[in-house]
Amino acid sequence: MAAALLSSGLLFVGAGAVSIALFTGHPGITPRPVAHPGPVPTGPVVAPPRPVARVYVSRPVYLTIPAIGVRTPLVKLGLTPQRTLQVPPSTSVAGWYTGSPRPGQVGSAIIAGHIDSVLGPGVFFRLRLLRPGDRIYVRRAGGKLAVFKVYAEHMYAKDSFPTQKVYGPAPDPELRLITCGGVFDPATGSYLSNVVVYASQVR
Amino acid sequence: MTNYHWARRPRLRIATLAGLFALATGLLAAAAPAATAATAAHRAAQTGWIRLAHLSPNTPPVDVYLYSFGGSKAMIVLHHVGYGAVSPYEKVASGDYTVAMRGAGASSTSPPVLSTSVNISPGGAYTVAGLGPAKGLRLQVMRDRLTTPKGESLVRVIQASLRNHRVTVTAGSQVLAKRLLFGHVTSYGRAAPGTWTVQVSGANGTVSQSVTLSAGTIHTLVVLDGANGLLLDNLEDAAGSTVMPQGGAATGLGGTAPVPAPSPAPWAAVIVAGLLCTGAAAVWLRRARHQARHAR
Repeated sequence: MAAALLSSGLLFVGAGAVSIALFTGHPGITPRPVAHPGPVPTGPVVAPPRPVARVYVSRPVYLTIPAIGVRTPLVKLGLTPQRTLQVPPSTSVAGWYTGSPRPGQVGSAIIAGHIDSVLGPGVFFRLRLLRPGDRIYVRRAGGKLAVFKVYAEHMYAKDSFPTQKVYGPAPDPELRLITCGGVFDPATGSYLSNVVVYASQVR
Repeated sequence: MTNYHWARRPRLRIATLAGLFALATGLLAAAAPAATAATAAHRAAQTGWIRLAHLSPNTPPVDVYLYSFGGSKAMIVLHHVGYGAVSPYEKVASGDYTVAMRGAGASSTSPPVLSTSVNISPGGAYTVAGLGPAKGLRLQVMRDRLTTPKGESLVRVIQASLRNHRVTVTAGSQVLAKRLLFGHVTSYGRAAPGTWTVQVSGANGTVSQSVTLSAGTIHTLVVLDGANGLLLDNLEDAAGSTVMPQGGAATGLGGTAPVPAPSPAPWAAVIVAGLLCTGAAAVWLRRARHQARHAR
Protein backbone atom coordinates (compact mmCIF):
# COMPACT_ATOMS: atom_id res chain seq x y z
CA MET A 1 0.00 0.00 0.00
CA ALA A 2 2.80 2.39 1.05
CA ALA A 3 4.82 1.34 -1.96
CA ALA A 4 1.85 2.10 -4.22
CA LEU A 5 1.47 5.53 -2.61
CA LEU A 6 5.18 6.20 -2.99
CA SER A 7 5.34 5.19 -6.62
CA SER A 8 2.18 7.12 -7.57
CA GLY A 9 3.54 10.19 -5.78
CA LEU A 10 6.80 9.95 -7.70
CA LEU A 11 4.80 9.45 -10.89
CA PHE A 12 2.83 12.65 -10.20
CA VAL A 13 6.00 14.64 -9.58
CA GLY A 14 7.57 13.31 -12.74
CA ALA A 15 4.48 13.90 -14.88
CA GLY A 16 4.09 17.44 -13.55
CA ALA A 17 7.72 18.33 -14.21
CA VAL A 18 7.67 16.85 -17.74
CA SER A 19 4.44 18.68 -18.57
CA ILE A 20 5.79 22.04 -17.42
CA ALA A 21 8.88 21.42 -19.54
CA LEU A 22 6.80 20.44 -22.61
CA PHE A 23 3.87 22.87 -22.67
CA THR A 24 5.81 26.11 -22.74
CA GLY A 25 4.39 27.79 -25.84
CA HIS A 26 6.79 29.20 -28.40
CA PRO A 27 7.60 32.65 -29.74
CA GLY A 28 6.59 31.81 -33.34
CA ILE A 29 8.80 31.82 -36.43
CA THR A 30 9.54 35.18 -38.03
CA PRO A 31 10.31 35.12 -41.75
CA ARG A 32 13.91 36.06 -42.49
CA PRO A 33 15.11 37.01 -45.97
CA VAL A 34 16.52 34.11 -47.99
CA ALA A 35 20.32 33.94 -47.93
CA HIS A 36 20.54 33.81 -51.72
CA PRO A 37 17.78 34.83 -54.12
CA GLY A 38 16.45 31.90 -56.13
CA PRO A 39 17.29 31.48 -59.81
CA VAL A 40 15.47 33.70 -62.29
CA PRO A 41 13.47 31.57 -64.72
CA THR A 42 14.46 31.70 -68.37
CA GLY A 43 12.35 31.59 -71.50
CA PRO A 44 10.50 33.85 -73.91
CA VAL A 45 8.98 36.84 -72.09
CA VAL A 46 5.64 38.14 -73.27
CA ALA A 47 4.87 41.84 -73.70
CA PRO A 48 1.78 43.28 -72.01
CA PRO A 49 -1.31 43.07 -74.22
CA ARG A 50 -2.16 45.87 -76.62
CA PRO A 51 -5.57 47.27 -75.73
CA VAL A 52 -7.02 46.84 -79.20
CA ALA A 53 -5.76 43.33 -79.88
CA ARG A 54 -7.50 41.05 -77.44
CA VAL A 55 -5.21 38.07 -77.62
CA TYR A 56 -5.72 34.69 -76.05
CA VAL A 57 -3.63 34.19 -72.92
CA SER A 58 -3.03 30.63 -71.77
CA ARG A 59 -3.51 29.70 -68.14
CA PRO A 60 -0.78 30.22 -65.52
CA VAL A 61 1.02 27.05 -64.39
CA TYR A 62 4.08 28.05 -62.37
CA LEU A 63 5.10 30.92 -60.08
CA THR A 64 8.67 32.03 -59.29
CA ILE A 65 9.65 34.84 -56.89
CA PRO A 66 13.48 34.77 -56.68
CA ALA A 67 13.66 37.50 -53.97
CA ILE A 68 11.93 35.27 -51.41
CA GLY A 69 12.83 31.86 -52.85
CA VAL A 70 9.31 30.90 -54.01
CA ARG A 71 9.01 28.21 -56.69
CA THR A 72 5.62 26.57 -56.93
CA PRO A 73 3.20 25.06 -59.41
CA LEU A 74 -0.11 26.91 -59.61
CA VAL A 75 -3.32 25.01 -58.94
CA LYS A 76 -6.77 26.30 -59.92
CA LEU A 77 -8.87 27.96 -57.22
CA GLY A 78 -12.61 28.60 -57.23
CA LEU A 79 -15.00 29.70 -54.52
CA THR A 80 -16.12 27.87 -51.37
CA PRO A 81 -19.85 27.22 -50.76
CA GLN A 82 -19.69 30.31 -48.49
CA ARG A 83 -18.53 32.34 -51.53
CA THR A 84 -15.10 33.00 -50.02
CA LEU A 85 -11.91 32.39 -51.97
CA GLN A 86 -10.96 28.71 -52.12
CA VAL A 87 -7.42 28.11 -50.86
CA PRO A 88 -4.89 25.53 -52.15
CA PRO A 89 -5.39 22.04 -50.66
CA SER A 90 -1.68 21.92 -49.86
CA THR A 91 0.16 24.63 -47.91
CA SER A 92 3.22 24.18 -50.13
CA VAL A 93 1.61 25.26 -53.44
CA ALA A 94 -0.06 28.48 -54.57
CA GLY A 95 -3.19 28.78 -56.72
CA TRP A 96 -4.71 31.12 -59.29
CA TYR A 97 -8.36 32.16 -58.86
CA THR A 98 -10.11 31.13 -62.09
CA GLY A 99 -12.72 33.88 -61.65
CA SER A 100 -9.99 36.51 -62.07
CA PRO A 101 -8.18 37.54 -65.29
CA ARG A 102 -5.25 35.35 -66.31
CA PRO A 103 -1.86 36.83 -65.34
CA GLY A 104 -0.79 39.04 -68.26
CA GLN A 105 -4.34 39.82 -69.34
CA VAL A 106 -5.68 43.30 -68.64
CA GLY A 107 -6.99 43.28 -65.08
CA SER A 108 -6.28 42.07 -61.57
CA ALA A 109 -5.13 38.42 -61.54
CA ILE A 110 -5.42 36.77 -58.11
CA ILE A 111 -2.91 34.25 -56.72
CA ALA A 112 -3.26 32.92 -53.16
CA GLY A 113 -1.02 30.74 -50.99
CA HIS A 114 -0.63 29.74 -47.35
CA ILE A 115 1.69 31.52 -44.94
CA ASP A 116 1.98 28.32 -42.89
CA SER A 117 0.60 24.87 -42.09
CA VAL A 118 -0.07 23.67 -38.54
CA LEU A 119 3.55 22.56 -38.37
CA GLY A 120 5.64 25.25 -40.06
CA PRO A 121 6.16 27.68 -42.94
CA GLY A 122 3.99 27.52 -46.08
CA VAL A 123 4.66 28.61 -49.67
CA PHE A 124 3.98 32.34 -49.00
CA PHE A 125 5.73 32.45 -45.58
CA ARG A 126 8.03 35.27 -46.75
CA LEU A 127 5.47 37.13 -48.90
CA ARG A 128 5.43 40.18 -46.64
CA LEU A 129 9.17 40.63 -47.14
CA LEU A 130 8.56 41.61 -50.79
CA ARG A 131 9.37 45.24 -51.53
CA PRO A 132 8.56 47.57 -54.44
CA GLY A 133 10.75 46.67 -57.39
CA ASP A 134 10.98 42.92 -56.67
CA ARG A 135 10.20 40.76 -59.71
CA ILE A 136 7.53 38.04 -59.94
CA TYR A 137 7.53 35.50 -62.80
CA VAL A 138 4.47 33.59 -63.97
CA ARG A 139 4.98 30.80 -66.50
CA ARG A 140 2.03 30.02 -68.74
CA ALA A 141 0.88 26.69 -70.10
CA GLY A 142 2.57 27.55 -73.43
CA GLY A 143 5.94 28.01 -71.68
CA LYS A 144 6.08 31.78 -71.98
CA LEU A 145 6.82 34.05 -69.03
CA ALA A 146 4.90 37.09 -67.85
CA VAL A 147 7.07 39.31 -65.65
CA PHE A 148 5.64 41.56 -62.93
CA LYS A 149 7.14 44.22 -60.66
CA VAL A 150 5.94 44.73 -57.09
CA TYR A 151 4.61 48.25 -56.45
CA ALA A 152 2.86 47.95 -53.09
CA GLU A 153 2.30 45.66 -50.10
CA HIS A 154 -0.57 46.03 -47.65
CA MET A 155 -2.01 44.24 -44.63
CA TYR A 156 -5.78 44.33 -44.14
CA ALA A 157 -7.90 43.08 -41.23
CA LYS A 158 -10.10 40.26 -42.59
CA ASP A 159 -13.24 41.82 -41.11
CA SER A 160 -12.64 44.96 -43.19
CA PHE A 161 -11.11 43.38 -46.29
CA PRO A 162 -11.17 45.85 -49.25
CA THR A 163 -12.88 43.50 -51.72
CA GLN A 164 -13.31 46.12 -54.43
CA LYS A 165 -9.68 47.28 -54.23
CA VAL A 166 -8.23 43.77 -54.37
CA TYR A 167 -10.65 41.94 -56.69
CA GLY A 168 -12.11 44.92 -58.57
CA PRO A 169 -11.18 45.98 -62.12
CA ALA A 170 -7.66 47.25 -62.92
CA PRO A 171 -6.82 49.03 -66.20
CA ASP A 172 -3.45 47.33 -66.74
CA PRO A 173 -2.21 43.74 -66.35
CA GLU A 174 -1.72 43.31 -62.62
CA LEU A 175 -1.08 40.58 -60.10
CA ARG A 176 -2.33 40.44 -56.53
CA LEU A 177 -0.71 37.86 -54.25
CA ILE A 178 -2.67 37.01 -51.12
CA THR A 179 -1.68 35.25 -47.90
CA CYS A 180 -2.41 35.53 -44.19
CA GLY A 181 -0.75 37.76 -41.63
CA GLY A 182 -1.10 39.60 -38.36
CA VAL A 183 -2.32 37.95 -35.19
CA PHE A 184 -3.26 34.25 -35.15
CA ASP A 185 -6.44 33.46 -33.25
CA PRO A 186 -6.12 29.93 -31.80
CA ALA A 187 -9.86 29.93 -30.94
CA THR A 188 -10.91 30.07 -34.63
CA GLY A 189 -7.68 28.58 -35.98
CA SER A 190 -7.15 31.46 -38.38
CA TYR A 191 -5.17 34.66 -38.80
CA LEU A 192 -7.03 37.94 -38.32
CA SER A 193 -5.45 39.71 -41.32
CA ASN A 194 -4.45 39.21 -44.94
CA VAL A 195 -1.28 40.41 -46.63
CA VAL A 196 -1.76 41.53 -50.25
CA VAL A 197 1.17 42.24 -52.60
CA TYR A 198 0.38 44.35 -55.69
CA ALA A 199 2.45 44.03 -58.88
CA SER A 200 2.08 45.26 -62.45
CA GLN A 201 3.41 43.71 -65.64
CA VAL A 202 6.82 44.89 -66.83
CA ARG A 203 6.86 46.40 -70.31
CA MET B 1 20.13 68.27 4.35
CA THR B 2 20.15 70.90 1.69
CA ASN B 3 23.30 69.46 0.27
CA TYR B 4 21.69 66.11 0.14
CA HIS B 5 18.80 67.61 -1.80
CA TRP B 6 21.08 69.47 -4.14
CA ALA B 7 23.13 66.39 -4.67
CA ARG B 8 20.08 64.32 -5.29
CA ARG B 9 18.09 66.54 -7.60
CA PRO B 10 20.62 66.73 -10.43
CA ARG B 11 21.08 62.96 -10.24
CA LEU B 12 17.32 62.57 -10.49
CA ARG B 13 17.31 64.92 -13.42
CA ILE B 14 20.02 62.96 -15.15
CA ALA B 15 18.12 59.76 -14.52
CA THR B 16 14.92 61.33 -15.80
CA LEU B 17 16.67 62.73 -18.84
CA ALA B 18 18.34 59.41 -19.54
CA GLY B 19 14.97 57.69 -19.19
CA LEU B 20 13.26 60.17 -21.48
CA PHE B 21 16.09 59.86 -23.98
CA ALA B 22 15.83 56.06 -23.94
CA LEU B 23 12.06 56.31 -24.31
CA ALA B 24 12.36 58.80 -27.16
CA THR B 25 14.96 56.79 -29.07
CA GLY B 26 12.90 53.66 -28.48
CA LEU B 27 9.82 55.39 -29.84
CA LEU B 28 11.76 56.79 -32.76
CA ALA B 29 13.24 53.39 -33.56
CA ALA B 30 9.76 51.90 -33.42
CA ALA B 31 8.16 54.75 -35.37
CA ALA B 32 10.80 55.17 -38.09
CA PRO B 33 10.17 51.92 -40.04
CA ALA B 34 6.43 52.42 -39.59
CA ALA B 35 6.73 55.96 -40.91
CA THR B 36 8.81 54.95 -43.95
CA ALA B 37 6.46 52.05 -44.63
CA ALA B 38 3.50 54.41 -44.38
CA THR B 39 5.15 56.90 -46.75
CA ALA B 40 6.00 54.16 -49.23
CA ALA B 41 2.44 52.82 -49.11
CA HIS B 42 1.14 56.37 -49.37
CA ARG B 43 3.31 57.06 -52.38
CA ALA B 44 2.26 53.81 -54.03
CA ALA B 45 -1.38 54.76 -53.59
CA GLN B 46 -0.79 58.17 -55.20
CA THR B 47 -0.76 56.96 -58.77
CA GLY B 48 -3.28 57.00 -61.58
CA TRP B 49 -3.46 55.86 -65.20
CA ILE B 50 -3.54 57.70 -68.49
CA ARG B 51 -3.82 56.52 -72.08
CA LEU B 52 -3.74 58.49 -75.30
CA ALA B 53 -5.75 57.99 -78.47
CA HIS B 54 -6.01 59.38 -82.00
CA LEU B 55 -9.63 59.15 -83.14
CA SER B 56 -9.89 61.89 -85.76
CA PRO B 57 -10.38 60.22 -89.18
CA ASN B 58 -8.95 62.89 -91.48
CA THR B 59 -6.12 64.06 -89.21
CA PRO B 60 -2.72 62.76 -90.32
CA PRO B 61 -0.55 60.82 -87.82
CA VAL B 62 0.74 62.78 -84.85
CA ASP B 63 3.37 62.61 -82.11
CA VAL B 64 1.76 62.74 -78.67
CA TYR B 65 3.69 64.16 -75.71
CA LEU B 66 2.86 63.86 -72.02
CA TYR B 67 4.40 66.51 -69.75
CA SER B 68 4.19 66.91 -66.03
CA PHE B 69 2.40 70.27 -65.65
CA GLY B 70 4.88 73.12 -66.12
CA GLY B 71 7.66 70.68 -67.07
CA SER B 72 9.51 71.03 -70.37
CA LYS B 73 10.83 67.47 -70.61
CA ALA B 74 8.26 64.98 -71.89
CA MET B 75 7.63 61.96 -69.65
CA ILE B 76 6.13 59.93 -72.46
CA VAL B 77 6.34 60.43 -76.23
CA LEU B 78 4.28 58.32 -78.62
CA HIS B 79 5.58 58.63 -82.16
CA HIS B 80 3.57 58.46 -85.34
CA VAL B 81 0.21 57.77 -83.77
CA GLY B 82 -2.28 57.19 -86.57
CA TYR B 83 -6.07 57.30 -86.68
CA GLY B 84 -7.58 54.54 -84.58
CA ALA B 85 -4.54 54.00 -82.35
CA VAL B 86 -5.04 53.76 -78.59
CA SER B 87 -2.07 53.39 -76.25
CA PRO B 88 -2.06 51.05 -73.27
CA TYR B 89 -2.59 52.72 -69.90
CA GLU B 90 0.52 54.26 -68.41
CA LYS B 91 0.79 54.33 -64.63
CA VAL B 92 1.84 57.82 -63.49
CA ALA B 93 2.02 59.77 -60.23
CA SER B 94 -1.19 61.66 -59.57
CA GLY B 95 -1.15 65.40 -60.33
CA ASP B 96 -1.47 67.82 -63.22
CA TYR B 97 -0.26 66.94 -66.70
CA THR B 98 -0.24 68.49 -70.15
CA VAL B 99 -0.93 66.44 -73.28
CA ALA B 100 0.38 68.00 -76.50
CA MET B 101 0.02 66.86 -80.11
CA ARG B 102 2.46 67.71 -82.87
CA GLY B 103 2.53 66.59 -86.47
CA ALA B 104 4.39 63.28 -86.82
CA GLY B 105 8.12 63.99 -87.01
CA ALA B 106 7.81 67.65 -85.95
CA SER B 107 10.53 68.96 -83.64
CA SER B 108 9.79 68.47 -79.97
CA THR B 109 10.45 72.18 -79.46
CA SER B 110 7.98 73.32 -82.12
CA PRO B 111 4.69 74.75 -80.90
CA PRO B 112 2.13 71.96 -80.55
CA VAL B 113 -0.89 71.78 -82.84
CA LEU B 114 -3.07 71.10 -79.84
CA SER B 115 -2.65 70.72 -76.10
CA THR B 116 -4.79 70.21 -73.05
CA SER B 117 -4.28 69.80 -69.33
CA VAL B 118 -5.46 66.84 -67.30
CA ASN B 119 -5.59 66.36 -63.56
CA ILE B 120 -4.94 62.75 -62.61
CA SER B 121 -6.42 61.96 -59.23
CA PRO B 122 -5.03 59.09 -57.13
CA GLY B 123 -6.42 55.77 -58.39
CA GLY B 124 -8.13 57.46 -61.35
CA ALA B 125 -7.89 56.37 -65.02
CA TYR B 126 -8.16 58.77 -67.95
CA THR B 127 -8.32 58.60 -71.73
CA VAL B 128 -7.17 61.67 -73.64
CA ALA B 129 -8.35 61.39 -77.24
CA GLY B 130 -8.04 63.58 -80.31
CA LEU B 131 -11.65 63.75 -81.52
CA GLY B 132 -13.62 65.43 -84.29
CA PRO B 133 -12.65 66.37 -87.84
CA ALA B 134 -9.15 67.67 -88.67
CA LYS B 135 -10.44 71.23 -88.89
CA GLY B 136 -12.24 71.05 -85.56
CA LEU B 137 -9.77 68.70 -83.86
CA ARG B 138 -9.95 68.79 -80.08
CA LEU B 139 -8.36 66.84 -77.24
CA GLN B 140 -11.03 65.39 -75.00
CA VAL B 141 -10.27 64.18 -71.48
CA MET B 142 -12.45 61.27 -70.39
CA ARG B 143 -12.55 59.91 -66.85
CA ASP B 144 -12.64 56.12 -67.14
CA ARG B 145 -14.62 54.07 -64.63
CA LEU B 146 -12.85 51.41 -62.58
CA THR B 147 -15.75 49.79 -60.75
CA THR B 148 -18.70 47.83 -62.07
CA PRO B 149 -22.09 47.14 -60.51
CA LYS B 150 -22.07 43.64 -58.98
CA GLY B 151 -22.27 40.93 -61.63
CA GLU B 152 -22.46 43.38 -64.52
CA SER B 153 -20.29 44.90 -67.23
CA LEU B 154 -19.97 48.57 -68.21
CA VAL B 155 -19.84 49.75 -71.82
CA ARG B 156 -19.50 53.12 -73.52
CA VAL B 157 -19.27 54.07 -77.18
CA ILE B 158 -17.00 56.57 -78.95
CA GLN B 159 -18.28 57.66 -82.39
CA ALA B 160 -15.20 58.32 -84.53
CA SER B 161 -16.63 57.65 -88.01
CA LEU B 162 -16.66 60.72 -90.21
CA ARG B 163 -18.47 58.90 -93.04
CA ASN B 164 -21.44 58.33 -90.77
CA HIS B 165 -22.71 61.45 -89.09
CA ARG B 166 -24.70 59.46 -86.56
CA VAL B 167 -24.58 55.79 -85.54
CA THR B 168 -26.74 53.54 -83.43
CA VAL B 169 -25.03 50.72 -81.54
CA THR B 170 -26.87 47.75 -80.04
CA ALA B 171 -25.77 44.61 -78.19
CA GLY B 172 -28.52 42.04 -78.59
CA SER B 173 -31.63 43.92 -77.52
CA GLN B 174 -29.66 46.44 -75.43
CA VAL B 175 -29.14 49.87 -76.99
CA LEU B 176 -25.63 51.11 -76.20
CA ALA B 177 -25.78 54.33 -78.27
CA LYS B 178 -28.70 55.89 -80.07
CA ARG B 179 -28.01 58.17 -83.04
CA LEU B 180 -24.68 59.17 -81.52
CA LEU B 181 -23.08 62.18 -83.24
CA PHE B 182 -19.60 62.02 -84.81
CA GLY B 183 -16.92 63.02 -82.30
CA HIS B 184 -19.10 62.24 -79.30
CA VAL B 185 -18.88 59.76 -76.44
CA THR B 186 -21.66 58.11 -74.44
CA SER B 187 -21.41 57.74 -70.69
CA TYR B 188 -20.89 54.20 -69.41
CA GLY B 189 -24.01 52.05 -69.40
CA ARG B 190 -24.66 48.74 -67.67
CA ALA B 191 -24.68 45.65 -69.83
CA ALA B 192 -25.69 42.11 -68.96
CA PRO B 193 -22.69 39.77 -69.15
CA GLY B 194 -22.51 37.43 -72.12
CA THR B 195 -21.36 37.19 -75.69
CA TRP B 196 -23.36 39.62 -77.80
CA THR B 197 -23.64 40.45 -81.46
CA VAL B 198 -22.88 44.15 -81.45
CA GLN B 199 -24.55 45.91 -84.38
CA VAL B 200 -23.41 49.34 -85.56
CA SER B 201 -25.58 51.10 -88.10
CA GLY B 202 -25.18 54.48 -89.74
CA ALA B 203 -26.41 56.15 -92.91
CA ASN B 204 -23.42 54.90 -94.92
CA GLY B 205 -22.74 51.51 -93.52
CA THR B 206 -23.23 48.83 -90.93
CA VAL B 207 -20.97 46.40 -89.13
CA SER B 208 -21.67 43.61 -86.69
CA GLN B 209 -19.21 41.87 -84.45
CA SER B 210 -19.30 39.36 -81.63
CA VAL B 211 -18.25 40.95 -78.33
CA THR B 212 -17.85 39.14 -75.02
CA LEU B 213 -18.72 41.21 -71.98
CA SER B 214 -17.74 39.41 -68.78
CA ALA B 215 -19.05 40.49 -65.39
CA GLY B 216 -16.55 42.79 -63.71
CA THR B 217 -15.13 44.19 -66.95
CA ILE B 218 -15.35 47.69 -68.45
CA HIS B 219 -15.30 48.27 -72.20
CA THR B 220 -15.08 51.14 -74.66
CA LEU B 221 -16.39 50.37 -78.15
CA VAL B 222 -14.89 52.67 -80.79
CA VAL B 223 -16.70 53.12 -84.11
CA LEU B 224 -14.11 53.80 -86.82
CA ASP B 225 -13.96 54.38 -90.56
CA GLY B 226 -12.16 51.46 -92.17
CA ALA B 227 -10.87 51.07 -95.70
CA ASN B 228 -14.03 49.16 -96.60
CA GLY B 229 -16.67 50.67 -94.39
CA LEU B 230 -17.31 50.75 -90.66
CA LEU B 231 -15.03 49.11 -88.11
CA LEU B 232 -15.60 48.37 -84.44
CA ASP B 233 -12.77 48.30 -81.88
CA ASN B 234 -13.48 46.62 -78.59
CA LEU B 235 -11.21 48.15 -75.93
CA GLU B 236 -11.06 46.46 -72.57
CA ASP B 237 -10.60 49.43 -70.24
CA ALA B 238 -10.31 47.37 -67.07
CA ALA B 239 -11.05 43.89 -65.75
CA GLY B 240 -11.51 42.33 -62.35
CA SER B 241 -12.91 39.10 -60.95
CA THR B 242 -16.19 37.97 -62.54
CA VAL B 243 -17.38 36.96 -59.08
CA MET B 244 -15.72 38.74 -56.18
CA PRO B 245 -14.91 36.40 -53.30
CA GLN B 246 -16.39 37.48 -49.99
CA GLY B 247 -14.06 38.77 -47.30
CA GLY B 248 -10.48 37.66 -46.80
CA ALA B 249 -8.75 34.38 -47.59
CA ALA B 250 -8.11 31.55 -45.09
CA THR B 251 -4.46 31.13 -46.06
CA GLY B 252 -2.83 30.17 -42.79
CA LEU B 253 -3.06 27.46 -40.14
CA GLY B 254 -0.88 29.06 -37.46
CA GLY B 255 2.19 26.81 -37.44
CA THR B 256 4.53 29.80 -37.38
CA ALA B 257 2.45 32.04 -35.13
CA PRO B 258 3.59 32.71 -31.59
CA VAL B 259 1.84 30.53 -28.99
CA PRO B 260 1.54 32.00 -25.48
CA ALA B 261 2.85 29.75 -22.70
CA PRO B 262 -0.02 28.18 -20.72
CA SER B 263 -0.11 28.73 -16.94
CA PRO B 264 2.11 26.15 -15.12
CA ALA B 265 -0.22 26.24 -12.07
CA PRO B 266 -2.16 22.98 -12.76
CA TRP B 267 1.06 21.03 -13.29
CA ALA B 268 2.61 22.64 -10.20
CA ALA B 269 -0.45 21.39 -8.26
CA VAL B 270 0.18 17.91 -9.65
CA ILE B 271 3.79 18.09 -8.46
CA VAL B 272 2.71 19.28 -5.01
CA ALA B 273 0.15 16.42 -4.81
CA GLY B 274 2.92 14.01 -5.85
CA LEU B 275 5.25 15.36 -3.18
CA LEU B 276 2.49 15.02 -0.55
CA CYS B 277 1.86 11.41 -1.62
CA THR B 278 5.59 10.62 -1.48
CA GLY B 279 5.90 12.29 1.90
CA ALA B 280 2.89 10.42 3.27
CA ALA B 281 4.31 7.16 1.96
CA ALA B 282 7.69 7.90 3.61
CA VAL B 283 6.03 8.63 6.98
CA TRP B 284 3.93 5.45 6.67
CA LEU B 285 6.97 3.32 5.85
CA ARG B 286 9.00 4.73 8.74
CA ARG B 287 6.10 4.15 11.17
CA ALA B 288 5.67 0.59 9.90
CA ARG B 289 9.43 -0.09 10.40
CA HIS B 290 9.27 1.46 13.91
CA GLN B 291 6.33 -0.79 14.88
CA ALA B 292 8.14 -3.83 13.49
CA ARG B 293 11.28 -3.04 15.66
CA HIS B 294 9.10 -2.67 18.80
CA ALA B 295 7.28 -5.93 18.09
CA ARG B 296 10.68 -7.71 18.11
